[in-house]
Amino acid sequence: MDTLIQQLINGLTIGSFYALVALGYSMVYGVMKLINFAHGDLFTLGSYIGYTVLVVGASWVTATFGIWGGMAIALVAAMIGIGVAGLVMERIAYRPVYKAGRLPLVVSALGMSFVISQGIMAIWGPNPQAYLSGWTPKDFLQFGNIRVPVLQIAILVLALGLMALIYWLVERTTFGAAIRAAAQDRDTATLMGINFNLIIFFVFALGPALGGMAGVMQGLKYTRISFNMGWLYGLKAFTATILGGIGNIPGAMIGGLLLGVMEALFEGYVSGAWKDVFIFLILILVLIWRPTGLFGEKTAEKV
Amino acid sequence: MRKVFVSLFVAILSLMLLLTGCGGGTTTPTATPTTTPTIPPPPVEKIVIGLQAPITGDFSAEGQWAKQCVEVAQDLINKAGGVLGKQIEIVVVDDGSNAKDSATAAQKMISQGLKEVIASYGSSVTRPAADLYDKNKVVSVGYGCTAVSLTMETQRPYFFRTAGRDDTQSEFFAKFAVEKLGAKKIAIMHDNQDYGKGVADDAKKFLQPSIDAGTTEIVYFDAITKGQSDYSAAITKLKEIAPDLWFFTAYYNEAALLIKQAREMGFDVTFVGNNSVPTPDFEKVAGDAIKGTYMLNEPMPQFLTFPESKTFMDAYKAKYNELPGSIWAVYAADALNALCAAIKTAGTTDPDKVAATMRTMTDAKGITGPLMFTDRGDRKNIPYYAYLYNNDGKLELFWPK
Repeated sequence: MDTLIQQLINGLTIGSFYALVALGYSMVYGVMKLINFAHGDLFTLGSYIGYTVLVVGASWVTATFGIWGGMAIALVAAMIGIGVAGLVMERIAYRPVYKAGRLPLVVSALGMSFVISQGIMAIWGPNPQAYLSGWTPKDFLQFGNIRVPVLQIAILVLALGLMALIYWLVERTTFGAAIRAAAQDRDTATLMGINFNLIIFFVFALGPALGGMAGVMQGLKYTRISFNMGWLYGLKAFTATILGGIGNIPGAMIGGLLLGVMEALFEGYVSGAWKDVFIFLILILVLIWRPTGLFGEKTAEKV
Repeated sequence: MRKVFVSLFVAILSLMLLLTGCGGGTTTPTATPTTTPTIPPPPVEKIVIGLQAPITGDFSAEGQWAKQCVEVAQDLINKAGGVLGKQIEIVVVDDGSNAKDSATAAQKMISQGLKEVIASYGSSVTRPAADLYDKNKVVSVGYGCTAVSLTMETQRPYFFRTAGRDDTQSEFFAKFAVEKLGAKKIAIMHDNQDYGKGVADDAKKFLQPSIDAGTTEIVYFDAITKGQSDYSAAITKLKEIAPDLWFFTAYYNEAALLIKQAREMGFDVTFVGNNSVPTPDFEKVAGDAIKGTYMLNEPMPQFLTFPESKTFMDAYKAKYNELPGSIWAVYAADALNALCAAIKTAGTTDPDKVAATMRTMTDAKGITGPLMFTDRGDRKNIPYYAYLYNNDGKLELFWPK
């Protein structure tokens, strides 16, 4: 029983990273009908921005604001930095080719992915970097045999809180209704007085910003960051998006969490070596049963 | 709709795979082998020995160290009067760290009429060169190539190596785990790649006698996925199994994350890492978690204790002001020592006689211990050691002392 609970906590933690990154994929897809391949690399860039804030501020940031303050500043810096990076990316790589159809957009997204990951390599070097142990709290909570670091709980709470916020924003506010309307039918939405450019602006700032924060969280939790780690998170998050139904906000969240929990349970109770095979098998079965993903059918809900 | 999604998904997956392939690492441009001046036929008073090394390319650091080590060993031999009254001369040819240029480098050595060469670093780089040397009856001694298949798949009468073989490590592990640590429940974890899985499979094989005797059991034998960040699921499983000892056989990146996350989860099992774990990167990422972990390695340069090692390290330090960067470079120097000892005993540089002597000589002393070789060309009695990260996070020799 202890082991099961521990595995569920493990799965939810990694799943919440997947879910945060998946949200960015899903929001952009909903509005632009574009698979943003560069999203995983924005995640990496976010974790390097957080790293730089903590390394350059070194003792200063952590000494002045405490460990928790330092981490918060790194998260906010990554959120703002990656939000801006998302907007810049949209302006230089997507807007010029938006009218040319979907294929040029996808090629442009792939190009951006290379530009960002190679750019990171050029700036921070090809060797992995490490979030130093002095930047994070060491405390943990002990429940019987289960030991959970406080940091992990904080990350989990923050990730779930962000997801709840996005859900509320998209599903419960007038602005969210405008986003959903724009996703459904751009022309009609524009005729109804919705500023489509504002919607794009919002989606390209918020989606990447979430990914950037997830990047910092991953650095804080797992220490090691490298310029090419984005592809793995990108792949997993993309799988989560497909699993939940692409373009669907609750679908991306549930898909991410479900993927994390399934991975943890399969690795814990069957075999680590066959984990990815199992995950993709499940995905294929889900797609055969529900080709639009678990939550993909209600097109009216699409973002 | 369904078709669109499925085909889109397949297309995207393949693109992702492409990205993986492309983003995997940095490509270092491989330079063509540097041209060495054609040397005239060896004058009578000199014995010329070739050194094929990765001076450029991915392993260039190793190549430089090998060259420096061989030159220091050459100086020591020449100062002591040379071999058979003749001075030793070294010809260096670059193999660019890749198999293609390695063949070219070997051809160059052969066309210069060399009879004995030191070659090379990297099993896949060494293989084509070893074939060429063997066909042309040139004795070659490898120094940084540990694949079991190099000597065990095909017999090359003229090929030797001063480095150990991958399965030697596994055999040492079995001895260390059972005899020294008295482990009863052993967990072995690898990464499903050639090198890591090979060491893990062999470790299982060498533990078999203790398993049959009922004193030891393998309670866990599984792989983790290379390149992940979160290994908590695997660790939780391992924690529930509660082994006495956890042997990890792959590279330092995963090892660092595993040990860090295990200690965070309060899992205090004895951890043993294999010979590619103890690196500066491992220490940086794992932080305090390295304390108390054991590392298996062929003797690291700072821990060599033979009288010959002291002489060599002093000479090396005097010239370069630091220790050689890796044990493999020191093995290159020992390759020269082995060849010189064999030439001295055989009384000639004739490759057939030198090769025969290499197999039978028992009194040759090297920097890394006695230089003796099996019929298949492997180093006999390669020393293996367990090192311990002490409470200051520094490596110290643990066993055998």
